[in-house]
Amino acid sequence: MTPDLVKFTHADLAAIAPEMVLALTGCLILLVEAFAPRLRRWFATLALAGVAGSLYFLLEAPGGTTFGGRFDTSSLTVLMGLFLGAAAVLAILMAKPYLERTGEEKGEFYALLLWGHLGVSLMTRGLDLVIVFIGLETLSLAFYVLAGFFRSVAASSEAGLKYFLTGAFGSAFTLYGVALLFGASGGTKIEGFARPGFADSPAVIFGLLLLLVGFGFKMSIAPFHAWAPDVYQGMPTPAVAYLSVAPKGASLIVLYRVFSAAFEGGMPDRFRTGIIALAILSMTLGNVVALAQRDIKRLLAYSGIAQMGYVTISLAVFGKDALAAAIVFFFAYLASNAGAFAAVASLYRDETKPHPVALLAGAGRRAPFAAAVLALCLFSLAGIPATAGFIGKFFLFKAALEKGFYALALVGIANSLISIGYYLKVVYILYMREPVEADAPPSLAPADRLALALCAAAILGFGIFPSTLWEVARRAAATLPFAGP
Amino acid sequence: MQRLLADHLLSVLVFLPAAGALLLLLLPRSAVGAARAFAIAVSLLELALSLPLWVRFDLAQQGFQFREKIAWIPQLGISYNVGLDGISLLLVLLTTILTPVSLLFSYSHVEKEVRGFSIAFLILETGMLGSLVALDLALFYVFWEVMLVPMYFIIGIWGGPRRIYASMKFFLFTMAGSLLMFLAILYLAIRHQAATGVWSFAFEDLYRLAFTGRTETLLFLAFALAFAIKVPVFPLHTWLPDAHTEAPTAGSIILAGVLLKLGVYGYLRFALPLFPDAAMHFAPWLGVLGVIGVIYGAAVAYAQHDMKRLVAYSSVSHLGLVVIGIGAFTTMSLTGSILQMINHGLSTGALFLLVGVLYERRHTRELDAYGGIAGIVPVTTTLFLIATLSSIGLPGLNGFVGEFLILLGTWTSPHRWWAAAAASGVILSAIYMLTLVQRVFWNPMTHEENKKLTDIRPTEFIAAAVLVVLMVWIGVRPNDVLDRIRPSVEHLQKVVAAKQQAATYTRNAAP
Repeated sequence: MTPDLVKFTHADLAAIAPEMVLALTGCLILLVEAFAPRLRRWFATLALAGVAGSLYFLLEAPGGTTFGGRFDTSSLTVLMGLFLGAAAVLAILMAKPYLERTGEEKGEFYALLLWGHLGVSLMTRGLDLVIVFIGLETLSLAFYVLAGFFRSVAASSEAGLKYFLTGAFGSAFTLYGVALLFGASGGTKIEGFARPGFADSPAVIFGLLLLLVGFGFKMSIAPFHAWAPDVYQGMPTPAVAYLSVAPKGASLIVLYRVFSAAFEGGMPDRFRTGIIALAILSMTLGNVVALAQRDIKRLLAYSGIAQMGYVTISLAVFGKDALAAAIVFFFAYLASNAGAFAAVASLYRDETKPHPVALLAGAGRRAPFAAAVLALCLFSLAGIPATAGFIGKFFLFKAALEKGFYALALVGIANSLISIGYYLKVVYILYMREPVEADAPPSLAPADRLALALCAAAILGFGIFPSTLWEVARRAAATLPFAGP
Repeated sequence: MQRLLADHLLSVLVFLPAAGALLLLLLPRSAVGAARAFAIAVSLLELALSLPLWVRFDLAQQGFQFREKIAWIPQLGISYNVGLDGISLLLVLLTTILTPVSLLFSYSHVEKEVRGFSIAFLILETGMLGSLVALDLALFYVFWEVMLVPMYFIIGIWGGPRRIYASMKFFLFTMAGSLLMFLAILYLAIRHQAATGVWSFAFEDLYRLAFTGRTETLLFLAFALAFAIKVPVFPLHTWLPDAHTEAPTAGSIILAGVLLKLGVYGYLRFALPLFPDAAMHFAPWLGVLGVIGVIYGAAVAYAQHDMKRLVAYSSVSHLGLVVIGIGAFTTMSLTGSILQMINHGLSTGALFLLVGVLYERRHTRELDAYGGIAGIVPVTTTLFLIATLSSIGLPGLNGFVGEFLILLGTWTSPHRWWAAAAASGVILSAIYMLTLVQRVFWNPMTHEENKKLTDIRPTEFIAAAVLVVLMVWIGVRPNDVLDRIRPSVEHLQKVVAAKQQAATYTRNAAP
């Protein structure tokens, strides 16, 4: 151990205060549950306060690196912190009515969510692969438990076990990759990879590929996607809303950080070819398989696999504008995907059963607000203009064309067309089919209403006025060292 | 208020319907009558506000008028950039006229989800007007796609039995074309940035770019495909009969009246001036496809038993004629094509409307279910006859002027035989349309229930009468309209020729 890890300075504590607030709030919730279970209905509020406090400290934290250059506070981490915080807030908002409906209003849910959130936050801020890995594992452990949250439901236990097994597999890849990079550079600090000729060695390339696989698991990029549909199906919907967005964004940032350091002289062509293959496979497989889905959560899982394929385009293009485009894309994806899951959480009566799309029939009339937001989210995921999803794709494809990736952009466009097939199918069921269930969906709780309204506002807001977000994302992307423009 | 209308008339026109749609959201869903009345009121206000465009339009000016420009995404040089020339002026007015006509017709015929229907229609109007006035390609693309969503719902929720299939097909076909155009637009902007160092999506900036043959061909094809699907040019027309047949009457009126025209408009506004060499290279193909469309559409229309499908295929035929006029690219043929777009909007709009009138009473569109009803519904018959005569180009009505100009203009171009073929299309249209009238209104009455048919209602009559008055007006005083089209057409030709010449110079200068 190097001495600078032992001595914490004041600046170190200020830098990590956001994560500490999250950890403590989680503990507090568990303590309150143990000693004053009657305060149960305040858990969500407490969790929201924890996220808000964490964001406050994040915005207050002085910029620069701390912990001996291992921990980052920059416009990139602040922007990603806002992104992750928004995901957590949305998940907590939809969790409260969801847990009340299912009769499982337990403090663990919020505590685990906050700790998972803490892990994701560490991933985006760590400048040392050990910190990144600790973040990854904290996230994973919390969400393994959340996946199996409904202990008495077979699908949920299955989700927990599946996520645990595949997740452990993914972590092993990551760890092996870290070990190889450690061997080659003599340290685990990312800045230590920024050496001329570092990426020439096959061991390093292999290590980077392993990292790509490990974080590809978390991002559910095909062919590392197989866990996603089953886990989404069994996991409580609010947790899925978080898991399907936040860790994916954080993983991309980690990959960008490592690659931008290791590929000082630009990304090698063969490595890039591999990433392009992943992007094409993920987009195509995700979209084509989504066409055949009958369960809305599985459909959204495959849609997510396809969406991560689009994000991988950014990684293949690799550059400041490509990263900024990916960040904008993630903000759009957060609003659209979390909104879709919020609507799903509120539209289904029985959470312990599957969620067939066919049950949504007639929702357009019986639950007009949730149905309208779901439709808006799907149009946004499909990339129809005037929504945030279009803006995300706009910047991504612009970045790809700008660097001459014409074929990749064409494949992306063709995939957008395929995706319209299944997104529109859900809209059709929402609005153009007669209801199959006698009972209308449960009425919306205020928290659900707020979550849905926030997502809808963000989709239209970013969709119609994207320039501020783009500017901020570009400034954030500029904090990473890229070779060339 | 005065200032707002004076300086921002186009913006007010574009966003007023969307604002109306937002207000409609505040109404309770049960307030059916209020939603109907409110939507009609908004569309009528919109019509009233659009009339000053006609009056204030400066005939002497060739470029764009009523300009407005505000930065939108300044980092990429994307701006809210709108303006109007003679071509878009007429289509804007056609839109503001056909929207209240459609809503007026729907007043007594749309019972399901009236509020949703009104919202969809108003957003559709914003999308159409926005596409017609946008001079920034990113802005244009946004409006162009925004139109799809309300139309999808209009067909899918308020349409006929096969509405799901039709709405999906409509959406996917249109989207397939536009996505390639989207990439082409991005590519243009990137090339502009590479050439000048400045980002811009403005049409006037991108126009200055010159491309080598292959690139230009690919870009042109990406644009042309998007527009050809919308028109639709044979063989990309297969979505049209389905969409038209299944759409509710109001949807068909707008689809035929405005949406199809946007394909032609986009070609004239963007594809031609941006890629003149490629456009001229492919013009013969365009003309041939137009000729095929004219004859094929007419033949298939003749074979139909469903009135609405017949009118839908007649659209394929009529728009084939418009495409021929554009392929010929003489001042006269272009002017005729643009006028013919307006004419087709009026006459086909009226035909769809009147077919809707009959359908709402008998709930069938089969030709054989009618016959001999002229004496029972005299007003409907009269209006239908006038619309038919306008559609087949009887002198004195609007259709004649447009068709004549296209034929004459094409005859003076190098492609004389197109004019010959197109003329046969005019004759064919008389055959199938008059057969339609004959079988529906005159032949002996074979069905007893037709005796109880009621004649047109006041709201329906007003909607149809407006269109008939305009048909007569354009037929009698075509120069009111032509004077507004011609300067813009000449300007367009000049712009295209200038760019072609410039391209020739650069190519000759290159080693």
